[in-house]
Amino acid sequence: MGQEFVLLVSASVFCVGVCGFVIRKNPLIMFMSVELMLNSVNFLLITYSSFLNSLDGQIFALFIMTVAAAEVVVGLAIILTIFRTRHEMDVDHIDALKG
Amino acid sequence: MFDLATVFEFTRDTVILTVGITAVLASLGVILCSSPIYCALYLISHMICLALLFLLYNAEFLAVVQIIVYAGAVMILFLFIIALLGGKKEIQENSLERSIAFGLIFTLLGELYLSATVGPTKQIEGTINSEMFGTAKAIGLELFSKHIVAFELASAVLLVAAVGVICLAKFSFTPLKRR
Repeated sequence: MGQEFVLLVSASVFCVGVCGFVIRKNPLIMFMSVELMLNSVNFLLITYSSFLNSLDGQIFALFIMTVAAAEVVVGLAIILTIFRTRHEMDVDHIDALKG
Repeated sequence: MFDLATVFEFTRDTVILTVGITAVLASLGVILCSSPIYCALYLISHMICLALLFLLYNAEFLAVVQIIVYAGAVMILFLFIIALLGGKKEIQENSLERSIAFGLIFTLLGELYLSATVGPTKQIEGTINSEMFGTAKAIGLELFSKHIVAFELASAVLLVAAVGVICLAKFSFTPLKRR
């Protein structure tokens, strides 16, 4: 399959991720949208490493997976702490740090 | 009669097309479902589709890593948190802000696609021979020769994340006072 299809799939998934991050109010689903964005970039890196016959893209994707795993763990711990103190899950109501 | 290579190419293209469209549809399911547990299930199917695509584009090792790390560890963590917090349904109303967000996102999609396809991609000569491209051996050789510093830094990142999560989970915080 050509490069255009790969670009289209990756751009679509990235935009769906951005859209989900903007329109959803549940922090868990916002995190899932971030995962979608990271995954679309991973997909593009891996396919282009195959097109260009170079392994650098795959190594980069591996590091993105590492950072994403660390980010998810810290983010879920923060969500859990917020839920323990506030007992609600709507990001519109979590505005204690707003000036 | 058909050439065997042509049939193989056609089958590969068909499978890539199907799995790619399934991945996009599953990602749409993630953001459009009301219940978080269904979102997580859609996200798992999206990850599995992406792992299949990685396999089809000569990245066996990363396909396995995708299954183990994402569909295994990260999504199970998500499901645990959803089970702990209770997956309440979210009321989705169609407001003006939401329509504006959709419009902006479609503009972004068009811009991304156009900016990516106007210039040709140059074919470069890689140094990896094609039999072991994407295998664990090739990735390991590359990782431990050219990218050893980044690898060590990644271990530091994971350690800091683990310590930070323990700090967040261990010490209890007093509830914030509303002003």
